[in-house]
Amino acid sequence: MVTIDLAQTPVREANERIRRYGADGTDVELVNPDARHHLGVGLVHPIHVRIRGSAGYFCAGLTDAARFEVDNNVGWGVGDNMYSGRVVVRGNAGAIPGVAIRGAEIVIHGNMGSRAGQVMKAGTLACAGNANFMAGYMMYGGRIIILGDSGEKVGEDMTGGHIFVGGRVQDLGSDAEQVDLEDGEDDDLRAFLDRYELRFTGTFKKIANAGRKLRYATSERQIRSIPFFTFSGASEYWNPKIQEDIYIKSQIGRYRIRGYGGARALPHLADLGFRRDVSRAGEDADVVSKVALKTEIGGLNGANPLKLSMPVMIAPMSYGALSASTKRAIGLASTLSGIAENTGEGGMSDAQRGAASQLIFQMLGGRLGWNIHDMNRADGLEIYISQGAKPGLGGQLMAKKVTPELARIRGIPHGIDLRSPSRHPDILGGDDLLIKVEEMREATGYRLPVSVKLGAGRVSDDVKIAVKDGFDFIELDGMQGSTGAGSAEVIDYVGVPTLPAVIEAVGALEEIGRRQDIELVLMGGIRDGVDAVKALCLGADAVAFGTSTIIAGGCIACMQCHVGQCVTGIATQDPAHESRYDPEAESHNIHRFLEGVRWQIAALTHALGYSDFRALNRDDLVALTPEAAEITGLPHEPGVRAKTPELRVSLA
Amino acid sequence: MAVYDINRILVPEAPPEYEDHTRDVHYVPAPCQVACPVGTDAPSYIAHIWDKNYEAAFEAITATNPFSSICGRVCDAPCEPACRRVDSDGAVQIRNLKRFVMDKLGATYRPPAVPITRKQSIGIVGAGPAGLVAAHDLCVAGYAVHVYEMTDRLGGMMIWGIPAFRLPPGIIEEDVERLKQRCPGLTVHLETALGRDVSLETLKARHDAVLLTIGAWWGKPMGVPGEADERVVDGVGFLRRVNAGERPEMPETVVVVGGGDVAMDACRVAKRLPGCKHVKVIYRRGPDEIPARKIELHHALKEDVEFLYHTQQVAVVPRGNQLALRCVNTTLGAPDEDGRRRPVVIEGSEHEILCGAVIAAVGQRGLCETLDRVGMMGPDRVRAEWDSMRTSDPQVFAAGDGAFGGSTIVMAMHHGQRAAYYLRHFLEGDGDPLPYRTPYRTRRVPVAQDLMWERFPIQEPVFVGLGERPAEFPEIELTYDTDTARAEAARCYRCDAETGSADYSVQHREDIFSMARTDPRDASKLKAMLDRRLRLRENPFPEERSACLDDLVFLPANLSRLVIDPYREACRIDWRLGERLALDVPFFVAGFDAANEALQVAVDRGAAAAGAACLGTTRPGPNAPWLQLCEPGRDAPSDNAVGVVYRVGERWHPMPTMRAHEGQILGLLLTSRRGLEDAIVYALEHGFDLLVLDGTGALGDRGTRNGEWPELRTAPDLALVRDTIATLRRLKQEEMIDIAWFGGARSGTDAAKLVGLGVNTIGYGVAAALALGGEMTPTGMLFAPDRTEEERVGAVMNLLKANAGEASMMARCAGKTRLHNIEPEDLRSITRATATATGIPLAGTRVA
Repeated sequence: MVTIDLAQTPVREANERIRRYGADGTDVELVNPDARHHLGVGLVHPIHVRIRGSAGYFCAGLTDAARFEVDNNVGWGVGDNMYSGRVVVRGNAGAIPGVAIRGAEIVIHGNMGSRAGQVMKAGTLACAGNANFMAGYMMYGGRIIILGDSGEKVGEDMTGGHIFVGGRVQDLGSDAEQVDLEDGEDDDLRAFLDRYELRFTGTFKKIANAGRKLRYATSERQIRSIPFFTFSGASEYWNPKIQEDIYIKSQIGRYRIRGYGGARALPHLADLGFRRDVSRAGEDADVVSKVALKTEIGGLNGANPLKLSMPVMIAPMSYGALSASTKRAIGLASTLSGIAENTGEGGMSDAQRGAASQLIFQMLGGRLGWNIHDMNRADGLEIYISQGAKPGLGGQLMAKKVTPELARIRGIPHGIDLRSPSRHPDILGGDDLLIKVEEMREATGYRLPVSVKLGAGRVSDDVKIAVKDGFDFIELDGMQGSTGAGSAEVIDYVGVPTLPAVIEAVGALEEIGRRQDIELVLMGGIRDGVDAVKALCLGADAVAFGTSTIIAGGCIACMQCHVGQCVTGIATQDPAHESRYDPEAESHNIHRFLEGVRWQIAALTHALGYSDFRALNRDDLVALTPEAAEITGLPHEPGVRAKTPELRVSLA
Repeated sequence: MAVYDINRILVPEAPPEYEDHTRDVHYVPAPCQVACPVGTDAPSYIAHIWDKNYEAAFEAITATNPFSSICGRVCDAPCEPACRRVDSDGAVQIRNLKRFVMDKLGATYRPPAVPITRKQSIGIVGAGPAGLVAAHDLCVAGYAVHVYEMTDRLGGMMIWGIPAFRLPPGIIEEDVERLKQRCPGLTVHLETALGRDVSLETLKARHDAVLLTIGAWWGKPMGVPGEADERVVDGVGFLRRVNAGERPEMPETVVVVGGGDVAMDACRVAKRLPGCKHVKVIYRRGPDEIPARKIELHHALKEDVEFLYHTQQVAVVPRGNQLALRCVNTTLGAPDEDGRRRPVVIEGSEHEILCGAVIAAVGQRGLCETLDRVGMMGPDRVRAEWDSMRTSDPQVFAAGDGAFGGSTIVMAMHHGQRAAYYLRHFLEGDGDPLPYRTPYRTRRVPVAQDLMWERFPIQEPVFVGLGERPAEFPEIELTYDTDTARAEAARCYRCDAETGSADYSVQHREDIFSMARTDPRDASKLKAMLDRRLRLRENPFPEERSACLDDLVFLPANLSRLVIDPYREACRIDWRLGERLALDVPFFVAGFDAANEALQVAVDRGAAAAGAACLGTTRPGPNAPWLQLCEPGRDAPSDNAVGVVYRVGERWHPMPTMRAHEGQILGLLLTSRRGLEDAIVYALEHGFDLLVLDGTGALGDRGTRNGEWPELRTAPDLALVRDTIATLRRLKQEEMIDIAWFGGARSGTDAAKLVGLGVNTIGYGVAAALALGGEMTPTGMLFAPDRTEEERVGAVMNLLKANAGEASMMARCAGKTRLHNIEPEDLRSITRATATATGIPLAGTRVA
């Protein structure tokens, strides 16, 4: 046993030492903790950590196997995302104790704050005193034992697991119900309490999910999307899409769901042209060797940056929305092209990790598949706030795609219509986010860049907050981004298009004098090197491709991703359908697409008179439509249109 | 013909005389269509089949293919390996689908005849697919065409080369008869061989131009010692005899040499002939290299033909009363000039295969003494230029196997089309026409709405094989039945069409797809692709586009405010209309005054079930709260109405303020921005509770008759709500009076946007009518009487509930726990017109 005096030792150093002692198998005692945050985070060895006093936020968070004992109180998020091991708190716990745990045992001798065990997947959270409101909020599994009173709305929107209340159940949450204990369950509970020397002589009331909201009551009739390319622009007001929407809604009584990106045209990078004549771009076959394209992203605060062979990444797309084979193909392609891949929501599989040489690990509010071990083997961490396709909505995965394997990785019951929470349990505003970023850095020894993914909304405000929260870079996703499933109306009508989004973001960074050092990665409907160059001109430091990589790898854009029977084996978890996808062949297709993008970026950069993509700037662009001019502030040059071939329509 | 070559990126111009749609931004010729040498619009005919529109399918099939019935049976079908589904669970069985349609209509359809309209004539030597297709195209262009055929029938190798178990004779006649019907300008001279019966000079004198499509009629020798033995026959000759009706007695074991389509037919013919028990095919490369069409190979295997791969013949030796084919084994070496790996002999592998006969199917050649004499022949074919189809004689053109080597029926047809194209330009005196390119058309058929399209496996036709009497050559497989054909048709991806994605249009997807199939070192292709991608899109927001609710978006909650979980957390949507009427959803249904009773009942009950109200001059029913629309001076307020709304005409004049009872809501219906302020001031001063803004003027239209839906006439004028709110604000009376909106509201999203603009309750008219099954017509809507009352009631209720769900989802995404807390600041415009009409700033621009 060694003692670390937190009055003398900064938390960062203390955590590093704790992890080293953990590796040696030496127990640790922390004195003078003074309710500091993040004590012991990231520990993955079965040592005993005794905290002589009170701990702050996220005590024992992001750990596996260690045993913590806290003499006094803890702040919010004790045991955050803990895999196994235990925490015993002699005093009280703040809000969200046991948030997102996946097997640990957390015992609070006093009372605990609100939303105890939010989005927990497995393990036990026990409280000898009373719980505040919404204990078990959106829990997916495991059990919560409350020896005192339950607080309001206990079990609010729980999906799985059970809550046992010894005292009064103040009221039940939405979709929760009181059920009878099963045989032997009471004995199990008491054996657990005995192990932790908690005395309880009363009887337990058991609360479980009532199953009313796990699946959509009526399923929407599958319909192959009808091409509504006329439904904006000069189209009819009561166009065929409107008619179809109304017809379907009149049958199901519910909003429609679909996958893919927007169905309607929006102001886009396509509405910009180049000020110089670029018609000779690429006449030099060897142009790639003449333009500097390498870049690093995320090194701002001393973390190991992502090393990109060109200012391009893969946009976050989950294993879940996509098949494992597809994730493998994309990962392999990212490696071949020397760029970074991203896990999207729902965890990291060994196959994904193996395929991608650089992999960003994305964390969402449901903490599905989030854990310290995968954090440690990631090359970057990303906190998802929202996505361009459906900002405000959490991820959505219809039951057809929630296979046992996928449910295991995510730690959820299989066969539910998974609707992920749309906000984080522990991020209710910018201040919380700051502490969360710190926790992630503490847990991984400040090695990894931590980024934020923002769907475009109030971009200017959001970007400024993100900067204050100390992220290493910002991933901004315009509303032209795609999704595996979401409300069709949200996909088409919530959010800001990618073009105004980047304008606002760059403007905000300029306003606070951080344009030079904060890196911005733009995504959402960026389709090729031409779009990429325009984004780089407008101030993005890199761009990310999602949908176009899928298309390069065989997607036919049927917009039925949500159904789960993807005909090409991409957006499916059905083994028979997935077997249609050849990851090796498609990885080469995706790789060739990415190399085509590289060539296009190089050719255009060269044609614009530069030898380094960093020289691209907004003066290289002009606006071709009045909207684009007003949005970007670029000169409106309709004349450029006259000089450039236009797509012609000749409907017979 | 490679699908992903540079022509897919840099699409060459099509000759203007052909219909070609490659410039249509919503169309890309699908890989199957590009792979088809005659450019068949397969996606369209497949979709037509699913839709049971067989005549349209027939049109699409036969448009560029006079031998569609034949192709339905025996086309090499290069479309199928090109099908994108081939990489998934197998190609769409395009040929079998064609066969299905041709079996239905091929025998009976009689196309309109195209008369001769031109003075010139063309002589064509050889009536195979190349010659007849050229004849067809030239006849259709108005020329007189004479075809000289050395045998006694039309069809060439289609008739002499393909055994009847694959292509029954009636099928060929079907196509030939159709062609003759269409082409009265066609004169056929049978049993007239070039050189023997007619000379080239005669043809040149008789016709303005001559086309030589003499075919590759003769088998090539194997080039090994001993092949002069009479028991060694050549493949095409053997097939010719059998197709002439002979059924020669065969020895017990027959060896076929070669791996092409002739070898496949020969081995299967041998297998069917009397006396034959074993058929062995030897091929010098492996199963992956064999050029035979997969399906023929597969069928031959099913019929117990034995394949000996990596085996090459070196000699034929008599062995008693049998023959020994002496062979060596091979292995694959380096690729040769055509990219195939060259077979390399394995030392010491010599062995013999005993048999009674050898059929050599190692290639074909064209022979013609008379042409040879004038120096027009190469080693085994007529010398001709691919770029012009011309021979050394300026008046003589050539096409088909006899000019360009052995190929397929459909490729020979392409030759015929090319030749016809160049011949026409020659006859018209245009010596240097645009290079020929197969034209690509689309019929823009909607995608098949089959729910099983992703799951259906390949639909295999029933395979009969040898049948009970093999020597009679019964057909080997059956035509699809209707269900099977439709299931197969449903499998089509529709690579040619838009799917509904705006940013990933069919052309953009295709470009990404091509990028993914472009070698990163192929700079010319990359350059072509870049040029293509630098083309501009049309402005989706042309200046004539008026302001539209579609062009508003919501600003979502993110970091700067908390999102309300749209799946779970509560968001209030109820509204107290005029502070008197509690509505569960802030909606009403209106515009049904002229509708029939059944619709009125549905509106009343459906609105009541959803917790909404109704608005109209008459009460649709007893269930939903009714806001009575009154014509001032004509209608009196009804006791049964929860509210009375006086209709203001085109010009403002003071309105009655009469209520039927104390608790009644008092409202004004405003349809115009003229006199708006006067009306608002009057309403505020006279204790009105409600302003109903009618953005399309539909409710103000007194002349509405049954079947007319004035709401359809125009998009709503959003400036009406802008000016109303601005006026109230100016008067410092904002939120002092309820604002209802009618006109052009379609969804809950529209409702939420209107709330953001300042509206409290939203009326649905046409939207409800569409939910009730209304079909839009040029003048209004039609309702089929095919629904029960409960279905209609459910439809109205479901629409209102779904729209309520959508509206609250928008509110929650914007971080609101109450729909009516959506503010103008939660919205952005994406067009200038909408920004102007609504006062909502354009996204990305700084708000002043």
